[in-house]
Amino acid sequence: MKILIIEDEQELAQSIAEYLSEESYLCEFAATYNQALDKIETYHYDCVLLDIMLPDGNGMKILEELKRQDKQDGVIIISAKNALDDKIKGLQIGADDYLTKPFHLAELAARIYSVIRRKQFGNSNTVQQNELQIDLLAKTVSVNNELITLTKKEFDLLLYFIGNKNRVISKSTLAEHLSGDFADMLDNHDFVYAHIKNLKKKLNDAGYDNHLKTIYGTGYKWEG
Amino acid sequence: MKNLLQKSLKPLTVFAFIVFALSIPTYFLLVEWIWLKELDENNDLIAQRIENEFNNQQISDEKLEESIVFWNEIQSVGRIEPILKSLQNDSVYTIRRQNPYSEKEIIDRFRGLITNIEINNKNFTLTIETNVEETEETVAYIAVVTLFFFLILVIGFWILNKRFSKKLWSPFQDTLQKLKSFELSKHTEIQFTETDIIEFQELNTALDKLLQHSITTYKSQKEFTENASHELQTPLAIIKSKLDLLLQKETLTDRQYQIIEEINRALTRITRINKNLLLLAKIENQQFNDNENVHISQLTQQCLEQLTEYSDNKNISIQTDITDNVTIEGNKTLIEILINNLLLNAIRHNEQSGQIIVSLNKSRLNISNTGKTALINEKLFERFAVSSSETTNSGLGLAIIKQICNRHNWTINYQFTDNSHLFSICF
Repeated sequence: MKILIIEDEQELAQSIAEYLSEESYLCEFAATYNQALDKIETYHYDCVLLDIMLPDGNGMKILEELKRQDKQDGVIIISAKNALDDKIKGLQIGADDYLTKPFHLAELAARIYSVIRRKQFGNSNTVQQNELQIDLLAKTVSVNNELITLTKKEFDLLLYFIGNKNRVISKSTLAEHLSGDFADMLDNHDFVYAHIKNLKKKLNDAGYDNHLKTIYGTGYKWEG
Repeated sequence: MKNLLQKSLKPLTVFAFIVFALSIPTYFLLVEWIWLKELDENNDLIAQRIENEFNNQQISDEKLEESIVFWNEIQSVGRIEPILKSLQNDSVYTIRRQNPYSEKEIIDRFRGLITNIEINNKNFTLTIETNVEETEETVAYIAVVTLFFFLILVIGFWILNKRFSKKLWSPFQDTLQKLKSFELSKHTEIQFTETDIIEFQELNTALDKLLQHSITTYKSQKEFTENASHELQTPLAIIKSKLDLLLQKETLTDRQYQIIEEINRALTRITRINKNLLLLAKIENQQFNDNENVHISQLTQQCLEQLTEYSDNKNISIQTDITDNVTIEGNKTLIEILINNLLLNAIRHNEQSGQIIVSLNKSRLNISNTGKTALINEKLFERFAVSSSETTNSGLGLAIIKQICNRHNWTINYQFTDNSHLFSICF
């Protein structure tokens, strides 16, 4: 899987690449508008991470260029601006997702995973994980063809772990993912534990081996 | 408090009074001097006439003597008396005496002249007196007239004052009115009306300069907040990503993991403060301009549903009294932020197994929650104001709530009664 990181901030670009490279992702960089244009014209990427504020141009134009050339690359905008207008405009032009800085790498990885899945598998989008089968469109999960009922948040968590296989994800990262804008306003993150406990129990009850490990007391890791 | 012209009226009146009072003796002395001068002339003329009349009679000395005796008898105060040597100088005098024809006590004043006349080449002294107005009477008449004019003057001042003050001060009132309705955050510039009064024109120019300065300062301050917040996002993103990488190191100990989590929490707080500052700047910059009919009943229900998970966690019971289908004109994004912030506050600052009461109708939204001590009221809605001992908040939540209320011209009030914090918003 090839990923293009269009980001003028070297440190951030490298962090992203380092985190993603442990999966089967291959990352390339573009730090300027012109570099980015060259790359997207020459190569095909599974996913493009696009910072819209570049020193020599507006990232939105790159997005427009991608669409003009009818490229199928998935695009995730990463922006320091949390402007609703930009978000709407980006999604209208054809971006697949919008992420505001600062974000957790796990969050980015989960979104990249889901964008790529959506782009590549179209209508019959199912993830097979040993005996576990996840239908991304119908949002259903089954173990050995036996359907298990998950709440919206449990399903969300499961996908998040699948998108971050073999990574340590801390409780605060999960809290931010689950509660979105509110996470930082809640001084108690115990709700994370409750959701995870339920998810684990449901998977176990359906006969699925325990892949979700607790690490360092409050961190989690999906091994598989 | 008096208006300015009323203030100047008082010293003017006092001054006019002093001038008029001083004019009374002046007029009196003047009138008195004219009186006496004219009477002296008059007495002189009478003396000459008497002298001429007697000489024209061409009568003998005996007859003259008889005539003079007779003349002296019919005159009450006038006298002709023979004298051997002619008087060198005439003399004048003023005398007051009782009116001999009146039974009541009436004292008259007379101006007298003693002069030398020659009849049939003999010298006589002639004394004649003419009645002259009494001093008190003159003073009284002058005083009455002066007082009359003084009253006319004061009444005139007062009426003119009333008439003029409105017209004269109209440019000032105009400026004052504009200043009163001016608000820095509303982005409206003041255009003062031109006036031909130098002082007011100068005032307007000075105010204009001051206002321009304030507006520029305010703008640059807002821009600074916005730019600073933007610039902070990227380094924050880098720190966050580095922590995520650190978390993946296999040699990490439990303690190191805890430290990373602690940094993460602090980072989340910085991010929150940053986002809130940006949000405040945006509201103040009127970047949330669109208004629509917001179904606030539905919206409140939705917000409550989203947050029940967190309230359940604290075992908080929520009572609602929400009137159906209440709609309100406003910006949906902001109203959602408002409700969420209020509800989150009610959850966060609640006690274990506490209570939240949400009530909504057409005119107000009330959200109350259990609490132990009242918040400090005065600075409650100010940025970074310390109103409780809690340290996890960004210090901006209530400032945002206040700004959103201001943006919609709503009022927000806080009350603490019976161990319950109540925030109510009047639409």
